[in-house]
Amino acid sequence: MAPLVRKFALTAHVTASVGWLGAVGGSLALSIAGLASRDPQLVRAAYLMLKVIGEFVLVPLAFASLLTGLVGSLGTQWGLFRHYWVLAKLVMNLFAVIVLLLYMQTIGYLAGAAAKITSSSRGLLELRNPSPVVHAGAALALLLVATTLSVYKPRGMTRYGLRKQHEQRSVSRAAAVATPTASQAGEVVP
Amino acid sequence: MADPPRFPEPDDVAAVRPDREPTTGPPRWVKVFGLMGLVLVVLIVIMLLTGHGPGRHMHGGLGGRTPPSSVSERGV
Repeated sequence: MAPLVRKFALTAHVTASVGWLGAVGGSLALSIAGLASRDPQLVRAAYLMLKVIGEFVLVPLAFASLLTGLVGSLGTQWGLFRHYWVLAKLVMNLFAVIVLLLYMQTIGYLAGAAAKITSSSRGLLELRNPSPVVHAGAALALLLVATTLSVYKPRGMTRYGLRKQHEQRSVSRAAAVATPTASQAGEVVP
Repeated sequence: MADPPRFPEPDDVAAVRPDREPTTGPPRWVKVFGLMGLVLVVLIVIMLLTGHGPGRHMHGGLGGRTPPSSVSERGV
Protein backbone atom coordinates (compact mmCIF):
# COMPACT_ATOMS: atom_id res chain seq x y z
CA MET A 1 0.00 0.00 0.00
CA ALA A 2 1.37 3.43 -0.95
CA PRO A 3 2.34 5.65 2.03
CA LEU A 4 -0.37 8.21 1.21
CA VAL A 5 -3.08 5.55 1.00
CA ARG A 6 -1.76 3.87 4.15
CA LYS A 7 -2.00 7.11 6.10
CA PHE A 8 -5.49 7.73 4.78
CA ALA A 9 -6.57 4.22 5.84
CA LEU A 10 -5.01 4.76 9.26
CA THR A 11 -6.76 8.12 9.65
CA ALA A 12 -10.09 6.57 8.68
CA HIS A 13 -9.59 3.73 11.15
CA VAL A 14 -8.63 6.01 14.04
CA THR A 15 -11.53 8.35 13.27
CA ALA A 16 -14.10 5.53 13.12
CA SER A 17 -12.77 3.80 16.23
CA VAL A 18 -12.52 6.95 18.35
CA GLY A 19 -15.95 8.03 17.11
CA TRP A 20 -17.32 4.64 18.15
CA LEU A 21 -15.73 5.03 21.58
CA GLY A 22 -17.32 8.48 21.97
CA ALA A 23 -20.72 7.23 20.84
CA VAL A 24 -20.55 4.40 23.38
CA GLY A 25 -19.72 6.99 26.04
CA GLY A 26 -22.81 8.96 25.02
CA SER A 27 -24.91 5.81 25.11
CA LEU A 28 -23.64 5.03 28.59
CA ALA A 29 -24.66 8.51 29.75
CA LEU A 30 -28.15 8.05 28.27
CA SER A 31 -28.43 4.58 29.79
CA ILE A 32 -27.53 5.90 33.24
CA ALA A 33 -30.01 8.76 32.83
CA GLY A 34 -32.70 6.26 31.78
CA LEU A 35 -31.99 4.04 34.75
CA ALA A 36 -31.46 6.62 37.48
CA SER A 37 -33.91 9.37 36.60
CA ARG A 38 -37.24 9.73 38.36
CA ASP A 39 -38.52 11.96 35.58
CA PRO A 40 -40.72 9.80 33.29
CA GLN A 41 -40.16 12.06 30.29
CA LEU A 42 -36.39 11.86 30.71
CA VAL A 43 -36.61 8.06 30.88
CA ARG A 44 -38.69 8.06 27.71
CA ALA A 45 -36.32 10.41 25.88
CA ALA A 46 -33.25 8.42 26.98
CA TYR A 47 -34.53 5.12 25.57
CA LEU A 48 -35.74 6.76 22.37
CA MET A 49 -32.35 8.41 21.85
CA LEU A 50 -30.49 5.18 22.59
CA LYS A 51 -32.14 3.65 19.52
CA VAL A 52 -31.30 6.65 17.34
CA ILE A 53 -27.65 6.66 18.41
CA GLY A 54 -27.48 2.89 18.00
CA GLU A 55 -28.88 2.83 14.50
CA PHE A 56 -27.25 5.94 13.07
CA VAL A 57 -23.96 6.19 14.95
CA LEU A 58 -22.95 3.02 16.81
CA VAL A 59 -23.66 0.44 14.11
CA PRO A 60 -22.19 2.44 11.18
CA LEU A 61 -19.07 3.37 13.15
CA ALA A 62 -18.62 -0.21 14.39
CA PHE A 63 -18.65 -1.51 10.83
CA ALA A 64 -16.43 1.36 9.66
CA SER A 65 -13.91 0.56 12.39
CA LEU A 66 -13.91 -3.13 11.46
CA LEU A 67 -13.56 -2.53 7.71
CA THR A 68 -10.89 0.17 7.97
CA GLY A 69 -9.01 -2.02 10.43
CA LEU A 70 -9.06 -4.91 7.97
CA VAL A 71 -7.87 -2.67 5.13
CA GLY A 72 -5.15 -1.10 7.28
CA SER A 73 -3.78 -4.42 8.47
CA LEU A 74 -4.07 -6.43 5.27
CA GLY A 75 -2.70 -3.58 3.17
CA THR A 76 0.47 -3.15 5.23
CA GLN A 77 3.24 -5.30 6.65
CA TRP A 78 1.37 -5.53 9.95
CA GLY A 79 -0.87 -8.20 8.48
CA LEU A 80 -3.99 -9.53 10.13
CA PHE A 81 -2.64 -12.67 11.77
CA ARG A 82 1.04 -11.83 12.27
CA HIS A 83 1.02 -9.84 15.52
CA TYR A 84 -0.91 -10.88 18.60
CA TRP A 85 -2.10 -7.34 19.32
CA VAL A 86 -3.63 -7.02 15.83
CA LEU A 87 -5.29 -10.41 16.20
CA ALA A 88 -6.60 -9.50 19.67
CA LYS A 89 -8.09 -6.29 18.30
CA LEU A 90 -9.75 -8.17 15.46
CA VAL A 91 -11.36 -10.65 17.87
CA MET A 92 -12.54 -7.86 20.19
CA ASN A 93 -13.90 -5.83 17.27
CA LEU A 94 -15.81 -8.79 15.84
CA PHE A 95 -17.19 -9.67 19.28
CA ALA A 96 -18.32 -6.08 19.89
CA VAL A 97 -20.01 -5.83 16.49
CA ILE A 98 -21.91 -9.11 16.96
CA VAL A 99 -23.07 -8.19 20.49
CA LEU A 100 -24.06 -4.72 19.29
CA LEU A 101 -26.16 -6.11 16.45
CA LEU A 102 -27.87 -8.57 18.80
CA TYR A 103 -28.44 -5.92 21.44
CA MET A 104 -30.05 -3.54 18.96
CA GLN A 105 -33.14 -5.79 19.26
CA THR A 106 -33.40 -5.03 22.96
CA ILE A 107 -32.80 -1.32 22.36
CA GLY A 108 -35.51 -1.39 19.69
CA TYR A 109 -37.90 -3.01 22.14
CA LEU A 110 -37.17 -0.48 24.89
CA ALA A 111 -37.53 2.45 22.46
CA GLY A 112 -40.75 1.02 21.05
CA ALA A 113 -42.24 0.58 24.51
CA ALA A 114 -41.12 4.07 25.54
CA ALA A 115 -42.69 5.57 22.42
CA LYS A 116 -46.03 3.86 23.07
CA ILE A 117 -46.32 4.82 26.71
CA THR A 118 -47.49 8.41 26.60
CA SER A 119 -49.88 8.76 29.49
CA SER A 120 -48.62 6.44 32.21
CA SER A 121 -45.76 7.84 34.28
CA ARG A 122 -45.65 4.64 36.28
CA GLY A 123 -45.28 2.61 33.09
CA LEU A 124 -42.35 4.70 31.96
CA LEU A 125 -40.61 4.40 35.31
CA GLU A 126 -41.16 0.63 35.27
CA LEU A 127 -39.42 0.57 31.91
CA ARG A 128 -36.14 1.54 33.58
CA ASN A 129 -33.61 -1.21 33.05
CA PRO A 130 -29.96 -1.77 34.08
CA SER A 131 -29.20 -3.81 30.96
CA PRO A 132 -28.22 -0.84 28.70
CA VAL A 133 -25.86 0.44 31.41
CA VAL A 134 -24.17 -2.95 31.70
CA HIS A 135 -23.80 -3.35 27.93
CA ALA A 136 -22.59 0.21 27.30
CA GLY A 137 -20.15 -0.01 30.22
CA ALA A 138 -18.73 -3.31 28.97
CA ALA A 139 -18.44 -1.92 25.45
CA LEU A 140 -16.62 1.14 26.74
CA ALA A 141 -14.14 -1.03 28.67
CA LEU A 142 -13.55 -3.24 25.63
CA LEU A 143 -12.94 -0.29 23.32
CA LEU A 144 -10.57 1.30 25.82
CA VAL A 145 -8.56 -1.92 25.92
CA ALA A 146 -8.49 -1.98 22.10
CA THR A 147 -7.30 1.63 22.02
CA THR A 148 -4.57 0.84 24.54
CA LEU A 149 -3.41 -2.10 22.42
CA SER A 150 -3.24 0.15 19.37
CA VAL A 151 -1.08 2.71 21.13
CA TYR A 152 1.28 0.37 23.01
CA LYS A 153 1.48 -2.36 20.35
CA PRO A 154 2.73 -4.99 22.81
CA ARG A 155 5.36 -7.39 21.54
CA GLY A 156 4.62 -10.85 20.30
CA MET A 157 4.27 -12.46 16.89
CA THR A 158 2.19 -15.46 16.02
CA ARG A 159 3.75 -18.59 14.52
CA TYR A 160 2.35 -17.50 11.18
CA GLY A 161 3.92 -14.05 11.61
CA LEU A 162 7.31 -15.48 12.52
CA ARG A 163 7.22 -17.77 9.50
CA LYS A 164 6.31 -14.88 7.19
CA GLN A 165 9.06 -12.75 8.70
CA HIS A 166 11.59 -15.53 8.14
CA GLU A 167 10.46 -15.91 4.52
CA GLN A 168 10.74 -12.19 3.87
CA ARG A 169 14.24 -12.04 5.33
CA SER A 170 15.29 -15.00 3.20
CA VAL A 171 13.96 -13.28 0.09
CA SER A 172 15.71 -10.03 1.04
CA ARG A 173 19.02 -11.81 1.57
CA ALA A 174 18.68 -13.64 -1.74
CA ALA A 175 17.90 -10.37 -3.53
CA ALA A 176 20.92 -8.67 -1.93
CA VAL A 177 23.22 -11.46 -3.08
CA ALA A 178 21.77 -11.45 -6.60
CA THR A 179 22.20 -7.68 -7.11
CA PRO A 180 25.66 -6.51 -5.95
CA THR A 181 26.15 -2.84 -5.14
CA ALA A 182 28.12 -0.46 -7.35
CA SER A 183 31.18 -0.63 -5.13
CA GLN A 184 31.13 -4.40 -5.14
CA ALA A 185 30.75 -4.37 -8.92
CA GLY A 186 33.66 -1.94 -9.18
CA GLU A 187 35.89 -4.31 -7.27
CA VAL A 188 35.10 -7.13 -9.63
CA VAL A 189 35.45 -5.10 -12.80
CA PRO A 190 38.04 -2.33 -12.28
CA MET B 1 11.92 21.85 17.27
CA ALA B 2 12.39 18.12 17.01
CA ASP B 3 10.37 16.21 14.51
CA PRO B 4 7.36 14.42 15.97
CA PRO B 5 7.81 10.69 16.26
CA ARG B 6 6.58 9.01 13.12
CA PHE B 7 4.08 6.17 13.22
CA PRO B 8 6.09 3.01 13.79
CA GLU B 9 6.45 0.51 11.03
CA PRO B 10 6.44 -3.19 11.79
CA ASP B 11 10.22 -3.26 11.43
CA ASP B 12 10.54 -0.69 14.23
CA VAL B 13 8.54 -2.38 16.92
CA ALA B 14 9.85 -4.57 19.65
CA ALA B 15 7.69 -7.40 18.34
CA VAL B 16 10.10 -8.09 15.51
CA ARG B 17 13.34 -7.29 17.31
CA PRO B 18 15.32 -10.48 17.89
CA ASP B 19 16.50 -9.33 21.32
CA ARG B 20 12.94 -9.06 22.64
CA GLU B 21 11.20 -11.83 20.76
CA PRO B 22 10.47 -14.86 22.92
CA THR B 23 11.71 -18.06 21.43
CA THR B 24 8.89 -20.25 22.73
CA GLY B 25 5.18 -19.60 23.09
CA PRO B 26 3.16 -16.42 23.16
CA PRO B 27 4.00 -13.54 25.55
CA ARG B 28 2.43 -13.36 28.99
CA TRP B 29 -0.03 -10.63 28.05
CA VAL B 30 -1.47 -12.85 25.31
CA LYS B 31 -2.01 -15.65 27.84
CA VAL B 32 -3.73 -13.22 30.23
CA PHE B 33 -5.95 -11.93 27.42
CA GLY B 34 -6.77 -15.47 26.36
CA LEU B 35 -7.71 -16.44 29.90
CA MET B 36 -9.93 -13.36 30.27
CA GLY B 37 -11.58 -14.12 26.93
CA LEU B 38 -12.22 -17.68 28.00
CA VAL B 39 -13.81 -16.55 31.28
CA LEU B 40 -15.97 -14.09 29.33
CA VAL B 41 -17.13 -16.78 26.92
CA VAL B 42 -17.98 -19.12 29.80
CA LEU B 43 -19.96 -16.33 31.52
CA ILE B 44 -21.87 -15.58 28.32
CA VAL B 45 -22.71 -19.26 27.81
CA ILE B 46 -23.94 -19.49 31.42
CA MET B 47 -26.07 -16.37 30.93
CA LEU B 48 -27.52 -17.73 27.70
CA LEU B 49 -28.34 -21.05 29.36
CA THR B 50 -30.04 -19.29 32.29
CA GLY B 51 -32.24 -17.21 30.01
CA HIS B 52 -30.36 -13.91 30.02
CA GLY B 53 -29.59 -13.86 26.32
CA PRO B 54 -30.72 -11.56 23.51
CA GLY B 55 -34.48 -11.28 23.03
CA ARG B 56 -35.20 -11.72 26.73
CA HIS B 57 -36.75 -8.26 26.96
CA MET B 58 -39.06 -8.95 24.06
CA HIS B 59 -40.53 -12.12 25.45
CA GLY B 60 -39.87 -12.49 29.11
CA GLY B 61 -40.40 -9.07 30.63
CA LEU B 62 -37.93 -6.52 31.87
CA GLY B 63 -35.09 -7.92 33.87
CA GLY B 64 -37.26 -10.74 35.04
CA ARG B 65 -39.97 -8.32 36.14
CA THR B 66 -43.44 -8.05 34.76
CA PRO B 67 -43.69 -5.60 31.85
CA PRO B 68 -45.42 -2.30 32.68
CA SER B 69 -49.16 -2.67 32.64
CA SER B 70 -49.51 0.23 30.22
CA VAL B 71 -47.17 -1.56 27.81
CA SER B 72 -49.00 -4.87 28.10
CA GLU B 73 -52.31 -3.20 27.49
CA ARG B 74 -51.03 -1.97 24.15
CA GLY B 75 -49.93 -5.43 23.11
CA VAL B 76 -46.15 -4.77 23.15
